[in-house]
Amino acid sequence: MKRRGSPLLAVASLLVAAVAVAATRPHYGGTLHLSMRAAPASLDPNQPDWTTSRNVFSLIFDTLVTLDDQGRPLPSLATTWQAESGNLRWKFFLRRGITFPEGRPLTPDIVAVSLRAANPSWKVFSTDDAVIIERDSPAPDLPAELALLRNAIAERDAGKIAGTGPFVIAQWDPGRKLVLAARDDYWAGRPFLDSIEIEMGRNFREQMVSFDLGKTQVIEVAPEQARRVATAGDRVETSAPIELLALVFSGDPRSAADSKQRDALSLSIDRRLLNSVVLQNGGEPAGGLLPNWMTGYGFLFPVDVNLTRAQQVRAEIPETTVWNLGFDANDPIERVLAERIVLNARDAGLRLQLATGPADVRLVRVPLASLDARVALAQLTATLGFPPAKNDANSLDDLYAAENALLKSQRVIPLLHLRAACAVSKSVKNWTRVRDEAWRLPDVWLAAERP
Amino acid sequence: MPDRRPKPVYNARIQEIRLPRAYSFRALCCLLLMVSATAVSATDWRAPNAQLAAKIAAVTGPGAVALVITNRSSLNQADVDDIRRGLCTELAALGVHSAAADQAAATAQVFLSENLRDYVWIAEIHVGDNEPSVAMVTTPRAEPAAGEHAAAPMTIHKAPLWTDENRILDVALPTGSPQIMIVLEPENAVLYVVQNGHWQAQQTLVIAHAHPWPRDLRGRLVLRKDRLFDAYLPGVLCSSTTSAPLALRCLESDDPWPLATEPFPLSAFFSPARNFFTGALSPGIQKQTAIAPFYSAAPLPRDKYTLWIFSGADGQIHLLDGMTDQATKWTWGSDIASLRSGCGLGWQVLATSRGDGVGDTVQAFEIADRQPAALSAPVEFGGSITSLWTDSDSTSVIAVAQLSETGRYEASRLSITCSR
Repeated sequence: MKRRGSPLLAVASLLVAAVAVAATRPHYGGTLHLSMRAAPASLDPNQPDWTTSRNVFSLIFDTLVTLDDQGRPLPSLATTWQAESGNLRWKFFLRRGITFPEGRPLTPDIVAVSLRAANPSWKVFSTDDAVIIERDSPAPDLPAELALLRNAIAERDAGKIAGTGPFVIAQWDPGRKLVLAARDDYWAGRPFLDSIEIEMGRNFREQMVSFDLGKTQVIEVAPEQARRVATAGDRVETSAPIELLALVFSGDPRSAADSKQRDALSLSIDRRLLNSVVLQNGGEPAGGLLPNWMTGYGFLFPVDVNLTRAQQVRAEIPETTVWNLGFDANDPIERVLAERIVLNARDAGLRLQLATGPADVRLVRVPLASLDARVALAQLTATLGFPPAKNDANSLDDLYAAENALLKSQRVIPLLHLRAACAVSKSVKNWTRVRDEAWRLPDVWLAAERP
Repeated sequence: MPDRRPKPVYNARIQEIRLPRAYSFRALCCLLLMVSATAVSATDWRAPNAQLAAKIAAVTGPGAVALVITNRSSLNQADVDDIRRGLCTELAALGVHSAAADQAAATAQVFLSENLRDYVWIAEIHVGDNEPSVAMVTTPRAEPAAGEHAAAPMTIHKAPLWTDENRILDVALPTGSPQIMIVLEPENAVLYVVQNGHWQAQQTLVIAHAHPWPRDLRGRLVLRKDRLFDAYLPGVLCSSTTSAPLALRCLESDDPWPLATEPFPLSAFFSPARNFFTGALSPGIQKQTAIAPFYSAAPLPRDKYTLWIFSGADGQIHLLDGMTDQATKWTWGSDIASLRSGCGLGWQVLATSRGDGVGDTVQAFEIADRQPAALSAPVEFGGSITSLWTDSDSTSVIAVAQLSETGRYEASRLSITCSR
């Protein structure tokens, strides 16, 4: 055969080294093994503690609306929607052809029943191809609210629950193990994975052991451990700071002295040190309830320790009260944080003592429920048991005013916003790095061994 | 029956790149650079400036105010300077004049911040010993643009064609007049025509399909001589009508998809529920009528035969010449396509790979003695390449990438120019 040479080839060899890692299309098949700390007793997303298991619910159920990575509503089971009467009444048109795993069609009636169960105060009606939601007060953020997994559409029948999501329940051992199988007929396309096995109720240490042994491909990593795990060579994916760590009082200040004592405590806490030393920069110091990346105004709330000012305020109080500081005794890092706060307070002349029972002030961790700032604040106040913040308007000024009012109530002292982290095996592909801690498992696939 | 549903309230199509095809390639690139540069420097801050100035003036009233601006956002210094000038102008129009702190009755500390979606400008206004007032305005953040690289000895030119929030499966540019562009999306084929120098949507043709599309949906447009085009999707074949107004007829079909254009009449069957070709070829490469499942294929003409390169679902690149199936250890990606450039051996293969930065790259290769030789520098796409098909005249390749930063899909036409 006659050979034809190209003069370019002589130069070309220099460029061969530029080829690095193959970019491959997703592969279908395989089982993904995950573990998590949460141990839900039920797979019903309509439960008080839904935020800790929302990643599981998202595999089985769909919501009418989803949010993109910037918190903007996108269609899901609803394809379009429109507001009427000053955001008091909303109409959501449903996607056609959606079915439950056993083939029953999703109807507007089922959607209405599901939403009423999750929101007893809402008026929800069904039409031929839509659901209508009426609220008592204007709800400009209703689409984002419907993206919360607690509002996922579920059919409940004789103790069983079914969703229209990408996976179907294959095995369920409450609080311990869940096995899910991909739905071939999922309306948004069959997931690449064949199945997912989730081990529940595993603490961070147990998860890490399982990961190191190659038994689990995705595990949760404690914020303070994320940097160490990454340094050890494992792939660690972290979210934006998405979980609020705060001190929450059991009630409003009972007196001027009580108010000043809370002020002094807030001023005395060295948030930067808590973050850098205790949490190994696993978060960011927080002066507000919502993180700055979500609102853009979070920096207006001061985070710096001011011991001098704290001591001045303390000096204005004739007699301070000894407060019991509650924390989760099962969380070792909370104990360390609580001990550090006690020391900070002592420097300001305040007396706190650790308590695992009834407490005057409690150290709490609350995951932010939404990438939509207004919905996140509303859910946060509900979780903390505060009265709903007045936030009917749709401007950032109003959101700031609502958050500022909550802080001025002195019911809560924000400390840090923590990142969620997980270690992901190298065989797991297309793990989407998102701002919140959401898993996007329908798009994940497992790499095949190259021959 | 007309659809009585209201128009969607989300995701309005944003047409960012509107380019007539008639420009020469080089002129097109220059135009793109100019458009891009103009877009960066001509950001209009007048509205947020006016809003914030009004809010500041409402608190301070007319008079001297000390204005301090702090940038806490991703805005560059040029933009900050623009905003500073604009804000001073707007304040002056309201009777508020900038002054030194010791000569001012009030201080406005302006922070240029940002959140997920918007730039957030915050004024903390101090008047006397009163508690400071806080005023805010927001304006949408600009989306970043993707970059481009070029290198010797061959250069891959990447000409953006279209960008959309919806997934783009393929783009075709029929020759002739009027200038037409067809964009294949999961649910529609959209026809665009050039009007006043911009692509304008002319007609949206719905793609009817009974079953849900597979994840990682793929589709291909093939221009035809007896009709405008065929659209191949998993389990579905759509054919356009011949006369205007155009219609699209879609049928469930397992017809094989063309793997290349003339003169390579080879087709292959595509899995209706997955993202790969099953491996069954029609009519085959001489005696070879079936191979392992594959993602893409590219022909390279030789003197007496055609060398077919297949990117297998097993991660291997296979070479088929009608007699042998040679599995290689090449580290190419799943998507390959060949084109006729006239440079070097005449035909080159473009292959995907993972770039050093964020996202995939495409690089040009020639195959000599069954070994690949890279002839261009990798071209970055700023995201994952989701489609790579040879154009109908085989002189260029249509690439579609999903951009990492924005999630948008961007279709580009890739062509090769020779070095000196």
